[in-house]
Amino acid sequence: MNQDYLDPSNARHMPELADMTFAMDLMMRAKEGVRNMAIALTETASTELRSVLRKQLRQGIAMHQEVTELMMRKKWFHPHELQEQYKLDQLAAKNTLMISEMDLFPGDTSRKGMFDREPDAKLGRSEA
Amino acid sequence: MQQQAQPQLLAAHESVDLHEIINFKTLCLAKSKLMQGLVFDQELKALMQKDVVQTKQDLTELQAIYENAPFQAPVPESRPTPILQ
Repeated sequence: MNQDYLDPSNARHMPELADMTFAMDLMMRAKEGVRNMAIALTETASTELRSVLRKQLRQGIAMHQEVTELMMRKKWFHPHELQEQYKLDQLAAKNTLMISEMDLFPGDTSRKGMFDREPDAKLGRSEA
Repeated sequence: MQQQAQPQLLAAHESVDLHEIINFKTLCLAKSKLMQGLVFDQELKALMQKDVVQTKQDLTELQAIYENAPFQAPVPESRPTPILQ
């Protein structure tokens, strides 16, 4: 691959690579949610909070299962074929490292002109 | 200043964990909502929408309980001035 992100060759399979990344993010969040809920549950004394957390924990487990099954069906995740998973892991890391080298947003990204007012307009940058 | 018929205040340790859960859920809601605009696969998008609906409900439930935190305070209409000045 080359360094030019406008090169159409970089767009090949891009939608699926992007979806794989978003699905992985959703799965990690579901997983983190399950762990966070379980930890919070062990710190709880209030009955009301306990029952809400328990309900949300179960719901989180179900969501994690749904995302995992979707990813397995789409071949974005291979929990039983570790060599397949290894290839995906290394490719995702490689592609993302390559993207991280690109100068994707070279201009000024403040977009301040898009807003009706600037809260810190009267202040110098160091004070803002 | 506990009023009548108000549920008991939460303990400090559960309040701090609740603070973390609420911030986590808020970020998850923002991500699932915003990422739907970037996703190509429609099944994945539908699952994210399902997550949005559930997380919205979760967050609302947690917010109600968070009102019983010992450090509970009146919430202003918009962001407090110190972060704007």
